[in-house]
Amino acid sequence: MNQHINPGSMRADDGIEKGGMLLHVDNISLSFGGVKAISDISFDIKKGEVRAIIGPNGAGKTSMLNVINGFYHPQEGTITFRGEKRRRMRPHRAAKQGIARTFQNIALFKGMSTLDNIMTGRMTLMHSNILAQALWVGPARNEELAHREAVERIIDFLEIEHIRKTPVGRLPYGLQKRVELGRALAADPALLLLDEPMAGMNLEEKEDMSRFVMDVNQQFGTTIALIEHDMGVVMDLSDRVVVLDYGQKIGDGTPDEVRNNQKVIDAYLGVAHD
Amino acid sequence: MSPDFLNFIETVLNGLMTGVMYALVALGFVLIFKASGIFNFAQGVMALFAALTLVGLQTGQMPFSHLINATFGTDIHHWGPGLPTILAILMTMAVMIVLAFTIEKVVLKHLVNQEPIILFMATIGLAYFLEGFGDLMWGADVKPLDVGLPTGGSFWLEDVTTSWATAGSEYYGMYIDTLDVSAAIIAIILVIALTIFSQYTATGRALRAVADDHQAALSVGISLRSIWVIVWSISGFVALVAGIMWGAKSGVQFSLSLIALKALPVLILGGFTSIPGAIVGGLIIGVGEKLAEAYIGPLVGGAVENWFAYMVALAFLLFRPQGLYGEKIIERI
Repeated sequence: MNQHINPGSMRADDGIEKGGMLLHVDNISLSFGGVKAISDISFDIKKGEVRAIIGPNGAGKTSMLNVINGFYHPQEGTITFRGEKRRRMRPHRAAKQGIARTFQNIALFKGMSTLDNIMTGRMTLMHSNILAQALWVGPARNEELAHREAVERIIDFLEIEHIRKTPVGRLPYGLQKRVELGRALAADPALLLLDEPMAGMNLEEKEDMSRFVMDVNQQFGTTIALIEHDMGVVMDLSDRVVVLDYGQKIGDGTPDEVRNNQKVIDAYLGVAHD
Repeated sequence: MSPDFLNFIETVLNGLMTGVMYALVALGFVLIFKASGIFNFAQGVMALFAALTLVGLQTGQMPFSHLINATFGTDIHHWGPGLPTILAILMTMAVMIVLAFTIEKVVLKHLVNQEPIILFMATIGLAYFLEGFGDLMWGADVKPLDVGLPTGGSFWLEDVTTSWATAGSEYYGMYIDTLDVSAAIIAIILVIALTIFSQYTATGRALRAVADDHQAALSVGISLRSIWVIVWSISGFVALVAGIMWGAKSGVQFSLSLIALKALPVLILGGFTSIPGAIVGGLIIGVGEKLAEAYIGPLVGGAVENWFAYMVALAFLLFRPQGLYGEKIIERI
């Protein structure tokens, strides 16, 4: 039933084969005042994979996502997305180029309904001008309706039909997380950044969310970068894992490789840093 | 019905009309405040500037004529017989959009992520600049504005209501200014149109999104800067409508910009972030001050209208600082 959503379909094809390089970050360093959040990190994300970013609290994972989608501007290093190399991203440009994301502490539009929240996800795909919209004339109207249809399919996919019209501020935490995923999916993203999608969820909610993430990746081929603390989830879902600690990369590889990496074990078991 | 009761109704009706006019001004504030957290001190001056521009275009006045005449020793006042009202209104709207673009480019762009008080100061600067610029462009004299709306009391209503009074009583009918009636109707249409626009269009959705959460809005690809241009344009449009109404009522002159001061108590009542709040707040203030003038006025020697709104606002600040519809202020400790 889900094959109709097919994110990616509305974006121009970037010509990158599955498994080819979608994004790579090179020698990224980011500091706030004198505090280094990220030092000299490089890694890549291949098209079609689930790439996990893990590490203890304060390792710089969220900072890394913020660099990728342009909220933070690194002092050094470059970001190459779909073959285009640049020093810094700007958030709404990043969104236009197909980077969608969710947030650790849910950033939904609380006063708006589930439907409207997910509709905002399609913002970058809508092209009619403000005057045409205001007058609700032909093309603008058809566009609105077409996007509405795509959004309804996402709502079906995420099994949230019953809360379509509910203001999201009133929803329980687990459902808010799901709506936020829906908003990111609505953008037909080329790269989906998920910042702790399962944080604070109970077991059942986690299982649901894992299933959605897996379906998104396998059925639509969407590339996903994922920050998650639940190691079981990370090992199950991801193709490759990059491990950060104190703003530095300490491991990179398949889940198995990472699991047996001594540095990673030390970081997680709390061996003293010197 | 007794004449006293009919007088009461007349006072309330007049209050409602005035209230709609206040709401119109308050609406401009709310739109900008919601989308950018800026309290736009220049809203009143924007209404003045819009009205000046409209009169200027309508009467074919030469912009900057004083400046030109002083510099080149010429004596130009008009470039022609003026534009038809509709065209003049459309062109004034275009001027307000250009103004919104300029404000974003010259002022707001450089103040992203600054404290609200700094943005507020910037709008004070903007208010003084715009006031001076408006004077320079169109001259400082009081100008009548006629956009073809009917004015004066409604004889029809007077006739009808006279017969309502108890037979034999000395009652000569209700006085309602027809201009106030058309202003109220136009304001209501404007509010409905704005509501529909914000509920059912992609841009409206983007406006609401930005009002809710800046960061999330950026992450879905909304450009804050273009949203700011849009809200300032819409507020410019609201200012134009307010300028037309108040200008038609009492002439286009500097004091027009002071209607912004009357919008303050309306905002405190309605909450700075609520469009329905601005309307209800405006109506309460409008009706309240007319009733106070009529019933408390004789006891204290009149002029209640001048301070009543501010007293109500003060009471609200003490007991319900977030206003009737404003978002609740919760401080987490």
